[in-house]
Amino acid sequence: MSWVTIIWSTIASACITLAGIYLLVWCRNRTAWANLLFSLTAVAAAGFAFCELSMMLAETPGEFGTALRWGQVSVWLWTVSLVGFVWLYLQAGRPWLAWATCGLRTFALLPNFLVGQSLNYREITALRHIPFLGESISVAEGVPNPWMLFAQLSLVFLVIFVADAGVTAWRRGDRRKALMVGGSVVFLVLVGLVESMLIFWGKVQAPLTVSLFYLCLVVVMAYELGRDVLRASQLVGELQASEADLRENEERMSLAVDAANFGIWIRDLARNEIWATDKWRKLFGFAPSERLELDAILQRVHPDDREALQGVFAKALDGGGSYETEFRLMLPDGGIRWISSHGRVEFDASGQPARIRGASRDVTAGRQAELETQLLRQQVAHVGRVSMMGQLAAALAHEINQPLGAILRNAEAAELFMQDASPDLDEIRAIIVDIRKDDQRAGAVIDRMRGLLKRQSLNTRALHVGELIGDVRALVRADAAARRLKLDVNVPSDLPPVRGDRVHLQQVLLNLILNGMDPIDGDRPEDRRVSVSALLDGAQTVEIAVSDTGTGIPDDRLAHVFDPFFTTKPDGMGMGLPISRTIIEAHGGRFWAENNKSGGATFRFTLPIAEEAAAK
Amino acid sequence: MSATEPIVQIVDDDPSFLVATSRLLRASGFAVKTFSSASTFLAQRDTDSPGCVLADLQMPGMNGLDLQSALTTSRNPLPILFLTGHGDIPSSVRAMRGGAVDFLEKRAPKEKLLDAVRRALARDARERKEHARQRELRARFDALTEREIEVLSHVVQGRLNKQIAGDLGIHERTVKLHRTAITTKLGVQSVAELTRLTLEAGIFEASATTFPKGQ
Repeated sequence: MSWVTIIWSTIASACITLAGIYLLVWCRNRTAWANLLFSLTAVAAAGFAFCELSMMLAETPGEFGTALRWGQVSVWLWTVSLVGFVWLYLQAGRPWLAWATCGLRTFALLPNFLVGQSLNYREITALRHIPFLGESISVAEGVPNPWMLFAQLSLVFLVIFVADAGVTAWRRGDRRKALMVGGSVVFLVLVGLVESMLIFWGKVQAPLTVSLFYLCLVVVMAYELGRDVLRASQLVGELQASEADLRENEERMSLAVDAANFGIWIRDLARNEIWATDKWRKLFGFAPSERLELDAILQRVHPDDREALQGVFAKALDGGGSYETEFRLMLPDGGIRWISSHGRVEFDASGQPARIRGASRDVTAGRQAELETQLLRQQVAHVGRVSMMGQLAAALAHEINQPLGAILRNAEAAELFMQDASPDLDEIRAIIVDIRKDDQRAGAVIDRMRGLLKRQSLNTRALHVGELIGDVRALVRADAAARRLKLDVNVPSDLPPVRGDRVHLQQVLLNLILNGMDPIDGDRPEDRRVSVSALLDGAQTVEIAVSDTGTGIPDDRLAHVFDPFFTTKPDGMGMGLPISRTIIEAHGGRFWAENNKSGGATFRFTLPIAEEAAAK
Repeated sequence: MSATEPIVQIVDDDPSFLVATSRLLRASGFAVKTFSSASTFLAQRDTDSPGCVLADLQMPGMNGLDLQSALTTSRNPLPILFLTGHGDIPSSVRAMRGGAVDFLEKRAPKEKLLDAVRRALARDARERKEHARQRELRARFDALTEREIEVLSHVVQGRLNKQIAGDLGIHERTVKLHRTAITTKLGVQSVAELTRLTLEAGIFEASATTFPKGQ
């Protein structure tokens, strides 16, 4: 065997081996198209090496021509698969350059088979034997085929395409790939192109050794692909490690969830399945293996809370995205369990809700304490109000009964005196004077009472309306929640401070908000609402409004709501609004009531802006 | 105004009400005296005259209830009627337990007030009559000697003269003499009447406290 045969056979078998390896890789992973294209490139390189060997060992021009002709087919396969490989591997390149390369190369197959003896020679006139690697080999002499230009042009396009793709990949950051694949393709193709041009245009008498360069290229490509395979196996290892981490995290998470007493549940809307942790099942009273149905879960919710809870879910699913709520569960033993639940809705790519994840917690103890505190506070407030009103009423009764009693006795005495045959007119006159005096005295008592409220106890200073309302809101929040009422507060942040007595104004707001809550009995959430709002009314005053969604005030009573002892409540004293109005008037404000068009009533009052703010 | 005519004594710190009430009572035919405080009343009142007291419950200084306790322990415990601007239950309970005739609001109807005053005066008259009768009886028993009282005590127990003579170690005739003296001095006709009078005077039970000597 000669060296030429050994070397070229080795080139071909090396290419075939590599092609086989990566074909196997592709078979295992059908989406890795770059592997298949590499195999084709390597097969083509092997084919071309075989053709080159055939040319060198050719005995006649005919044999040489045939080998060269089939060599062109190998180059065609090689070019097309290389373009595909670069395209896929570098994820770059201009499509028109790729198409131009493949198109020209494919077109060149036509003259290869139709014009002359091959694409390169119109006619091979003679074979010359030259020494090469210590033996005699054949080279051709003949007329070059000008159609060969198409093939060479396609290689130029190939170089441009790969260079361009390489630059793009380089800029993108894949510098190694760009340099190794792009650089070697450009360099080796160019070298091969120059060599073949020199030989085929008859400038040099030498055997074609392009398959050597092709081999180099195949080796570089194989090396690069091999790195990827290695990297993939590394990734598998890392993935296993991170899976272990994930499990560890899950363990930690479940520990935390258990510690926080949270029960977790997930509802898959597409599959209509509910999954829940054991803790959650325990909370809601489901056995560990019991299948969970939404209806069965809702059945365990307290009937008073069921509709509201469904509303909360519906709102979250309808684009709200998340929810936070509290509701009661009915336990089999008749007890009540308060659950605090919050969760998130996950939406799929089309924006449809896919699943809800939620966490639920038993808050009965806290809730109980809160309710007790609230009850206690209400009782204290009630006792406070009653005792204040009781003292006021007792003092008022005593003070006013004195003059009223005197008036009565005087009048009765006068009646009796008048029955005399000759009435003592002086006595009767004295009685009338006394009656008038006592009447004035009774009036003075009332004036003094009003004055007591008006002057002595007002301690005014600049107050922020938002803070004022916020304080009262904090006081009634629990009360409102217990009645499932929403308390809206709407105060512009740029509202100037008002001048007033904090405690008295809180009393007024508290009274109005509590009054507003009482008549509300609607079922829909939008019907269970008390709103407090404030706005600038002219340059000198702020208007504060408290609206409810209750039954409103009958028109014939609207004028009387501020009368003392006027009340619609069975246990009301009818003093809240008169006192409130006295307080507001003492502040220099106005106070009035009106019915809302949409139902319910609104109480409005004005307060003067603090001087320092008004002066600005 | 004669000494026996009952007087309604009004005590109230409110001058206007005081005058108006006195006018009504005068017009209704009562004799009236007014006092602007409990202490003036206690200092200036007529300790003998009959009548009743009409007092305001709430007064500065000595209030109505204080006045009531001072009055009941006095020599002339007149019946008391309370008036109040605004009555409370604990005060009214205390007042009634202390023997008040009534407890009225200041703006009570006239009829109620006059009726209460009449009842108070009637009670005073009755008490006074009983008082006078007891005084008269006491005077009669005072005329008896110690021996006569001793004999009387046996008589009212229903013992015979012979038994009394044996008990006291005296002659039966002497017992008869004592009995004649007793019936003469007390002006009674029969043993039954003697027994009734003795019981009425309460002379043998807790006599020292009921009728202190020299009263």
